Amino acid sequence: MASEIEFRLISPTEATQGRAASQAPGPTKAGEGFGAQLTQAISSLDGLQTEADGQANAIAKGGGNLHEVALAFEKADVAMRLATRVRNKLVDAYNEIMRMSV
Amino acid sequence: MDFFTALHISGSGLSAERTRVNLASSNLANAETTRTAAGGPYKRLDPVFQSVAANGGVGSGATPSTTGETEPLGVRVSTIVADPTPGKKIYSPGHPDADGQGFVMMPNVNPVHEVVNLLSASRGYEANTTAVETLKQMAAKALDILR
Repeated sequence: MASEIEFRLISPTEATQGRAASQAPGPTKAGEGFGAQLTQAISSLDGLQTEADGQANAIAKGGGNLHEVALAFEKADVAMRLATRVRNKLVDAYNEIMRMSV
Repeated sequence: MDFFTALHISGSGLSAERTRVNLASSNLANAETTRTAAGGPYKRLDPVFQSVAANGGVGSGATPSTTGETEPLGVRVSTIVADPTPGKKIYSPGHPDADGQGFVMMPNVNPVHEVVNLLSASRGYEANTTAVETLKQMAAKALDILR
């Protein structure tokens, strides 16, 4: 049975607050901050890469599912590209600050 | 329901379609098989698909959906059933599996039917890969915002 999605009108603030309420990370502890989040993001990126690697290994050994490998690589690829974009943004911001005249 | 949900769903669809191809190939390969482990001629096999919650589980690890149908659902092959229709009975007294009157029970496989199944499964696979492709393009577009 095909299911349909119901759309409804919301205020622009609700659009972002709705998400924030459901998945806001708890208050940041001291010593934890952007750096910790970055480390976590990189480690999950590494996890995706390792998974893709493992799947490719399984295929090379004659087991595994071809499309699952492809999907694992796809995930790793998207995550990697996101990480690269975030890194570029950070470097841009850093350069912007360094260019400030004091 | 993160970004990869659609990827998992398409993955489960790919798995299901591949099982369908496996079964169609099995049916085609055994179109003339008169001996099986269970005795008697080969019976053609059909997959039964079932919707499962798209909780990232692809393949056998997925659990059946419990929350109804108002969420994105993946698919899995629930069971594989043997078609009980009796096959053709041909007269061939020289055949080692012929009965007292010289008749042999042949499998109930119709090669034309199986090839159509194969075609349908292949198109289904293609549809799922197209969904993956679309998701990929959407991801690329989303990442372009960050540029």
